[in-house]
Amino acid sequence: MKTMMTRSLLAMGFASLGLAGLGLAGLAATTAQAQEATFVMTARLVGAPTYNPTKATKLNTATTLIFDRLVVQDADQSFHGQLASSWEASPDGMQWTFKLKPGVKFHNGEPFNARTIEWWVPQFKGTENAFTVEAIERVEVVDDLTVRFHMKRPDPNLLFNLATSFMCIPEPKSYTALGDSFGVTDAIGTGPYKMQQFSVGQQTVLVRNDDYAWASDLSANRGPAKFKKLTFREIAEESTAYLELKTGGADMLVNVPTDFLPRIQADKAVKLVTLPGNELVYMPINTSVEPFTDVKLREATAFAVNQKEILTSLYGGNGAAADTFLIASLKESQVEPKYKISYDPERSRKLFDAAGWKAGPDGIRVKDGKRLEVKLWTQNGTEFKRLVEIVQAQLKAVGMQADISIIDAGSINAQYRKKTEHQLAIRAYQWTNADIVDWFFAAKRAGYPNVSMFNDPEAERLNDIAMNKSKSWDERVANFTRYHEYVLSQYAFAPIYQPAQSLAYGKRIVLPQEIRGTGLYGPTMLDIAPAN
Amino acid sequence: MLQFAIRRLAMLIPVFLAVSLVIFMIIHLVPGDPLEHLIQVGSSPEQRARMIARYGLDQPLLVQYGRWLAKLVTGDLGDAIVMRQPVARLIAENMPHSLALGGAALIFSTTVGIVTGVLAASFRDSLFDRAVMGFILLGSTLPSFWLALLMILMFAVQFEWFPVSGARSWDALVLPALTIGIGGTALIARVTRAAMIEIAGRDFVRVLQAKGLPFWRIQLRHVLQQAMLPVMTILGLRIGWILGGAVTVEYVFARPGLGSLLITALGQRDYPLVQGCLLMLAIAVMLGTLLGDLAQAALDPRLREAMGAR
Repeated sequence: MKTMMTRSLLAMGFASLGLAGLGLAGLAATTAQAQEATFVMTARLVGAPTYNPTKATKLNTATTLIFDRLVVQDADQSFHGQLASSWEASPDGMQWTFKLKPGVKFHNGEPFNARTIEWWVPQFKGTENAFTVEAIERVEVVDDLTVRFHMKRPDPNLLFNLATSFMCIPEPKSYTALGDSFGVTDAIGTGPYKMQQFSVGQQTVLVRNDDYAWASDLSANRGPAKFKKLTFREIAEESTAYLELKTGGADMLVNVPTDFLPRIQADKAVKLVTLPGNELVYMPINTSVEPFTDVKLREATAFAVNQKEILTSLYGGNGAAADTFLIASLKESQVEPKYKISYDPERSRKLFDAAGWKAGPDGIRVKDGKRLEVKLWTQNGTEFKRLVEIVQAQLKAVGMQADISIIDAGSINAQYRKKTEHQLAIRAYQWTNADIVDWFFAAKRAGYPNVSMFNDPEAERLNDIAMNKSKSWDERVANFTRYHEYVLSQYAFAPIYQPAQSLAYGKRIVLPQEIRGTGLYGPTMLDIAPAN
Repeated sequence: MLQFAIRRLAMLIPVFLAVSLVIFMIIHLVPGDPLEHLIQVGSSPEQRARMIARYGLDQPLLVQYGRWLAKLVTGDLGDAIVMRQPVARLIAENMPHSLALGGAALIFSTTVGIVTGVLAASFRDSLFDRAVMGFILLGSTLPSFWLALLMILMFAVQFEWFPVSGARSWDALVLPALTIGIGGTALIARVTRAAMIEIAGRDFVRVLQAKGLPFWRIQLRHVLQQAMLPVMTILGLRIGWILGGAVTVEYVFARPGLGSLLITALGQRDYPLVQGCLLMLAIAVMLGTLLGDLAQAALDPRLREAMGAR
C-alpha cells in the first residue's frame, strides 16, 4: 500500500509538472495562420443548436457561408439575386417566377435547379418557419432553371422571407438521409464554405468550397473565398471574447458587446467598423393596468424618456436615438413627424397635470392620495441594468417613481405572460421588417410578446390590412406605415435607442471598403482577405 | 471488502431516486420554458399550444417525471428540446472535456495540497507555515469567476504563456485547471497539515523517533500514510465538487464541457438536457463519495468492521 501511495503521489507530481510544460510548449503556437481566420461570435450569437435552416429558430453568421439563398437583401432594403438570376411578380401578385443561375452545385456534387425548389418549399410544412411560405399554394417547375410560385394570396413580403437565413437552401438528398442530424453532424449547401466540424455552443469550422462561382452582386469577389479555412468560435463571456481579439487569438469579433465599445475604440491594435443597426431598444407600457389605462399617462411617460441623453451617456454616441418603433432603414419608420416620440419634459409634465397627477412634497406625483409608483422590469445583463437605472432617474425627474425588478432572461417572458404584474419594461428586439409591429402589438399575443397588452379595435383593423390585404410591396409599406402610426399615437411604448452593429478586427485581415447587406453575412465574408 | 462495497452501492439507489426527483422538479418549477427559444417571429399562440402538447409539457409534472424516469431506467436520457439531439450524445461529447479539466485540477490540488500540507506540518508555526497557509487560504476564497479572469489577464494577456480560451490545444487546459485546482488546494493542505500534526503526536511516532529514524522518513513513510485517511474522504467529495465548480470556469474560458452545456441548457430551459447534465453531476458526487469511502475502508480495516463487513 505504501508503495502504491508513493507511486500515486509521484504520478500526480509528474502530471502537474507536465501541465506546466505543455503550457510552455504552447508559447509559440498561434491560433490563426495565413489563409485561416478565426471569428468570434459573442453572447447574442451563441448557442445556435443546428444549421438546419428550415427547422432552426436561431442561426448564426456561419449559416450564410454554408448555404445560399435565392435572393439577398442590402442595407437599403433592396433585393439582389444570389441563386436566382432574376424574378418577376404577376400584376395581381398571384404568381412569382424565378430564373435560376446555371451551373450551381451543392457541396456533394448534386446539381441545384428548379427541382430543388419544388422539393424545398414543402419542407417548411409543420416547422416553426412555416409562416415564411404559407402564402405559396404550389411550386411549378417551368424548366430546369425556371420555377414559378403560385400563391394562395398576394404576399409582398415574399422576397424578404426568401432573403432571411431561414430560407437558405439545403441539399435534398443529404437533408432527407440525415433527418434530424442535418445541420448538426453535417450540413450541405451551395455556399462558399463547407462545414467541416460543428460543436454546439463551441465552434464551427468551415473549409473553402473551391468550386464557388455564383456570388451575388453584393460581393466584389464572385469566385471562391479568400480564406481556405474559417473557424467561428462562440464565446458567451464578453471579457474573454475581447481578450481573444486583443491577444491575437481571434481575428474578428463578429458582434462587439456594447460595454466593450469604448475599450475597443481606444485600442490602436484593433479596428472598429459600425454598420446601421437592425435592433431597437424600447420601453413597453402595459396598457391594461392602472395608471396606464389612461392614454394621457402613457403619453406623459413616453415623452419623459430622454433618448439623446441615453445615447450619449450610455453608448458614447454609437448608434442613434429612436423615435419610432422601427429601425430607421425601414421605409415604414418614416411616419409623419407628429407621431414621433422624443423627449419633451414640458409636454410630459403638462399631461401629468392634466390627468390630475400633481407633484407631492417629495416630487413624486399624487392623485386621490395615491402616489405615482410603478413597477419597471428588465432582464439581467450589464447593459439592461444601466439602461433601466437611467430611465428610472428620467422618470423621477417628471414625478414618477419606478421600482426596478431585474429578472433572469430565461424567466422574464414567462413573467410577462402573467400579464398584469409589470407596468413598464425595458426590452430590445432585432428584426428588419415592419411586421414586428404585429408581433409586439397584436391583441392575440397579449402578455408575451405583446408586453404592452395592447388591444385596440382600430389597431387590429389596421393590422389585418397590413398583414393580409397588401397586394404589392409599396402597398404593404403604406399599410404598415399607417398601422405603425396608429400604435405610436396610442403610446403603447416609448422608443429609446437603435444600436449600431459593430465589428472589431485585428491586423491579420482586411475588410472591403463597404460592407454590403443588412449585416456581416456571406456576401461580405467573400470579400474579406488575409493581410499580406 | 466486497460486501462493504456492495452495501455502500445499494445505499445509492434511494439517494439516486430522491436526487432525480429534486432535479426534475426544480427545473420545471423555475419560470420560463424551452419554447421561448423555438417560437419564431410570426408564430401564432395556437402554434405554441401545439408545441406544448408535442413535448408533453401540458401533462401534470408527476406524469412527466414518471415518463422521464421510465426512460431513464432503460438508459435513455431523452432528446434535448432546443438542441434536438439525444441528451446522451451531447453529454458524451462534452464529458471527456470536463473529465480532463477536473482530472487536471484534481491532480494539481492533490499534489500541491499534500506537499504543502506536509511541509507546513513539518515546519509547524514557522514563517513558511503561516505564509503558505495564508496564501492558499486567500486563493481559495477568491470567487472562481474573478480568479479565472485574473488568470487570463496575467498568464494569457500579460505574459502570453497560455491561450486566453478554448480547448484546441493541451496548453489551454492549464489556466482553467489551475483556477479550479487552487480552491481545492487549501482544503487538502489544511486537512493534511492537521492530520499530520495530530498523528505526529502519537506514541508510535515517539518510538520511531527514539529508534533514531530520520525525521523525513518518519514524516513521509509513517505519518503521511495515516494522514491520508481523512484526505481520501476529502478527495472523494472533491470529484463531484470539481465537476460542479467547472461550470463557471468552463464558461469564462469558453471551453466545451458539462458545465458549458449546463449553462446553455439552463438559459434555454432545455428540460431534458438540464436534467441530464444535473444527473451526471449528481452521479459524479455520489460516485466520488463512494470512492472516498472505499479508499478509506481499504486503508482502515476498523472502518470495514464498523460497517459489519470483513
